[in-house]
Amino acid sequence: MNSALKDGEFAPGARAFVRALWGIGMRISPLPANAASAANTRARFLGSQLWLPSTLPPGVSADGVQLAAAAHAAAHLRFSGARFLPRGLKPVQVALISLFEDARVERLACQEYPGLFRLWAPFFELQAPGTRTSDALLARLAFSLHTGTSDPDSWVNEARQRFFACDAPLCDPNFVRELGGRLGNELGQMRLPFAARDYVVTPAYRDDHFGVWQFELENAAEGAELELKSAGSRAAAADVSALRNRSSTSPDANGTASAFAVPDRAEPEHAASPAFSYPEWDYVIACERAAFCTLRERAAPRVDPERLDASVRGYAGTRRRLLRAASRLAEEQRVHQRRLTSGSRLDLRAAIASLLPLERQAGAPRVYRRTRFRREPPALLVLLDCSESLNVVPRGSAFSALELARRASALLGSTLDALSRDWAIHGFNSNGRKDVGYFRFKDFGEPYDDQARARLAAMRAGLSTRLGTALRHAGQALHARRATRKVLIVVSDGEPSDVDVHDPDYLAFDARRATRVNRQRGVTSFCIGLGSSAENCIRTIFGNRHFLTIDRLERLPEQLSRLSLRFAG
Amino acid sequence: MNASLLDALRVQDEPYYVPVAGEVGLFEAAYATRLPVMLKGPTGCGKTRFVEHMAWRLSRPLITIACNEELSAADLLGQYLLADGNTRWQDGPLTIAARFGAICYLDEVVEARQDTLVVIHPLTDDRRLLSLPARSEAFRVHPDFELVVSHNPGYQSALKNLKPSTKQRFGAIEFGYPERSTEIEILIHETALARPMAERLVSIAEATRRLKGHELDEGVSTRMLVHAGALIGKGVEVEAACQMALVCPLTDDPELTQALLASVRACL
Repeated sequence: MNSALKDGEFAPGARAFVRALWGIGMRISPLPANAASAANTRARFLGSQLWLPSTLPPGVSADGVQLAAAAHAAAHLRFSGARFLPRGLKPVQVALISLFEDARVERLACQEYPGLFRLWAPFFELQAPGTRTSDALLARLAFSLHTGTSDPDSWVNEARQRFFACDAPLCDPNFVRELGGRLGNELGQMRLPFAARDYVVTPAYRDDHFGVWQFELENAAEGAELELKSAGSRAAAADVSALRNRSSTSPDANGTASAFAVPDRAEPEHAASPAFSYPEWDYVIACERAAFCTLRERAAPRVDPERLDASVRGYAGTRRRLLRAASRLAEEQRVHQRRLTSGSRLDLRAAIASLLPLERQAGAPRVYRRTRFRREPPALLVLLDCSESLNVVPRGSAFSALELARRASALLGSTLDALSRDWAIHGFNSNGRKDVGYFRFKDFGEPYDDQARARLAAMRAGLSTRLGTALRHAGQALHARRATRKVLIVVSDGEPSDVDVHDPDYLAFDARRATRVNRQRGVTSFCIGLGSSAENCIRTIFGNRHFLTIDRLERLPEQLSRLSLRFAG
Repeated sequence: MNASLLDALRVQDEPYYVPVAGEVGLFEAAYATRLPVMLKGPTGCGKTRFVEHMAWRLSRPLITIACNEELSAADLLGQYLLADGNTRWQDGPLTIAARFGAICYLDEVVEARQDTLVVIHPLTDDRRLLSLPARSEAFRVHPDFELVVSHNPGYQSALKNLKPSTKQRFGAIEFGYPERSTEIEILIHETALARPMAERLVSIAEATRRLKGHELDEGVSTRMLVHAGALIGKGVEVEAACQMALVCPLTDDPELTQALLASVRACL
C-alpha cells in the first residue's frame, strides 16, 4: 500500500497526526521570520491554518515540537468554542484566560487520547522558585495545571485548586474566562507588573493564543490596543495580513484574489534557472545557428487552487470519458511467449514437434506457451503556449484560449494522475531570442496536488511564441525520462512569432526542425490547436496526423482518443 | 475427482464470524436462488472469513482462488499437461467447483484481467453452463455450485475495475469495518486481550482510518488489529507490537511513520 505525503510540504507528519486524532484537515505553513519580531518562536493558528515557527527553542527536536504544537492547536479547534472577545480585559487577564483555556482543552484531549499527556509532558519543566514575577507565576501555573501537582507559591496553588474545584463541566469554556478574569485581578492587586510585549507563552509548543481571541482588526481604535491586549501573541494586525498574503491557502482570507496573486518569493522552488542555449534553424540558409536562443526557467506564481477546481467541477461526464480515453494511452501490451519449458498453455504444435526424434534429444521439452502483459504508460509532457495571443477568445468558445488551455490541462491532469506520475505540464513564452521563458506548473514525478494546481490556476498569458526553442527544451526534459514511449503534447493557438522575427515562415520551419530532432530522439510530438485560426501552420510543424483542434472542452475526450489511436499507430 | 478431495475442501469447524448487518440472511437467500455474490469492502474487514463461515453454514466445499494479473483462463478452467509423451487434461479449480458443486471464491477479483473473467459469464447467468473450448467440452454446472467474488473498491487504480457485463451478473453485499463495540468483541475473541487494551487498539485503528483518502489508501484493518493483539499476547511490548503490526506495514514514509507512531502513543 502506498502512502501519499506531498513532496516538499511543510510538516506533513504533523498534518497527518491531527487528522488521525480528530479528522481535522489542517494547513500547516512555516511562520515567516519577518512576520513578527525575531524572538517569535511560538506557533500561531487561525481557523484551520497553523503556522509553526521555523526557529526552534534550544534543545527541542523539530518532530517533537511540531507534533506537540499541532496536537495542541487541534485540541483548540476540537474543544474551544467561539473565540473569546477581549473587550474590557486587561492584558494579564487575557494571558491567564488563555492559559486556563490551554489547560482545559488539553485535559479534554487527554480524556480522549491519554497518551497526549506524554507527548506534551517533556516540554514542561519545573522552575525553582525565584523572583516572583508575573511571567514566572504564569509558567509555574501552566506546569501545575498540567501535572495537577501543588506548587509552593500560594497564588499558583490557589489558582490550580480553583481550576480543578470548579463545578462547571470541563467542556464549558465560559468558566475559564470567569476564572482567568478574577485571578488576573488578584494578580494585579499583588502589584506584579505584566509586560504584555515581552510575554512569551510557555511551554514552547503552545501557540501564541492568537487563534483563541477574536481581535477586531477592522476597528482602528481597537487595533491600536491590540498589541497590549493580545498579551501572548505580540502580534500586530499588519502581521496577520502579512501572514495571510504569504499563505496562499489561508481559509479566512476572505477570498481576496489580490492577496493570492502575490508571487511566493519565499520558497525558491522552480526559481529562475541558469540560461540554456539552444540552436535555431534558419531555413533561408538551410543551416542551424548554434547557441542562438537563450531560455530561462522561471518560477511559476501560485494562487488559490480552489478557483481552478471550481472551474472544472461541472465536467464530470467529460472527465469520465477522458479517463477512458487516457487509459488507452496506458494500454497494456500483449507479449506472446512460445516454446517454454513451463507455461500456462500447452503449445500443441510444439508438443507434436517434440515427439520427433530430433527434438527429443534437446533436454526438457519446450512445449508451453504463455501470454504476458506489459503495462507501461508513456512519459507525457503537456507544453502550454503562454503567449499574449492566448488572451483572445476563440470563435465558438465561451472563454479565452488561455482559460480553455487551463481547464483542458486541469481535466487532463486529474485524469493522467490516476494512471501514472510520469507526466508534466510546462509552459513557455518569449520576448526575443535571448529571453525565452519556461515554467514548470507540474513536473515529472511530482504529485498533481494543491501546489501544482495553484501554479496552473495562476498561469497568465503574455509576450510571444518562440516555439522551436521551447520544443527543444521540452524534448530535453522528456529525453531524460526512462519510459520507452515519450509523448509531447503542445497546446497552442497558432503560429509561432516573436518580436525580433519578421519572416512569418522562419519560426515555423525552426519549430518543424525541432519536432523532427525530437522525433529522432524518441519523442513523439502532437499539437492540440485552440480554435482553428492557424491550422495550416500547425500542420506544417507537426504533420497532418499529429494535429487536432478543440474549441469546446467537451470535445477533449474524443480528440484525445483520436490522438491516442494515432499515437498507437 | 473423488469424494475425499471434496471432503478435504469442506470447512470442518465453525469459523468465528460476527454478523454485522444481516449479511448472513442475504447470502443464504442468494444461495437459495444460486445468485452469484460479490463482496465489496476494505481489506481485512472479514470478507474471506465470511465466505468460510457461509461455506460451513451451507455445508458446501469451498475452493478459493486468489486472483492476480497473471491469472489466465487456463488457470481457472484447466489445461492439457504432458505426461509420458502424451497429453492429459487437468481440470482447473473453477471447473472442479462447477462439476462437483462447491462454492468457488475468487478473492480480489479485480486483480485478474478483465478478459480472463469473461469465462465466468456463461456460468453466472441462467444458462449455468461451463464451456471448455480447449477440450471442446461444455457442461451444465452442478446444482449446488455457487460463485462468490470479492473486491475492494477503495484503493485500486482507475484502471482496475470490472466490466459492466461482469458486474451485472452479481448481487453485491457491502462490507465495512465493524462498529467499535463489535470490533472490540472480535478482537477479544480472536486474541484474548483484556478489554481496555482491545479498546485502545480499536482507537488506534479509528485514528488511522481518518487518514484514508488523504495520507493513506487504507487505515488499520481488523485483521491488522488481530495481528497486533497476537503479538501483545506473545509478550511483545504494546508500542513495539503496534509499530510492527500496524504502523510499519501501512507506510514507508518517515514523516507519516512518525505521525502514525504519535497517534499510537496518543491512544495508549
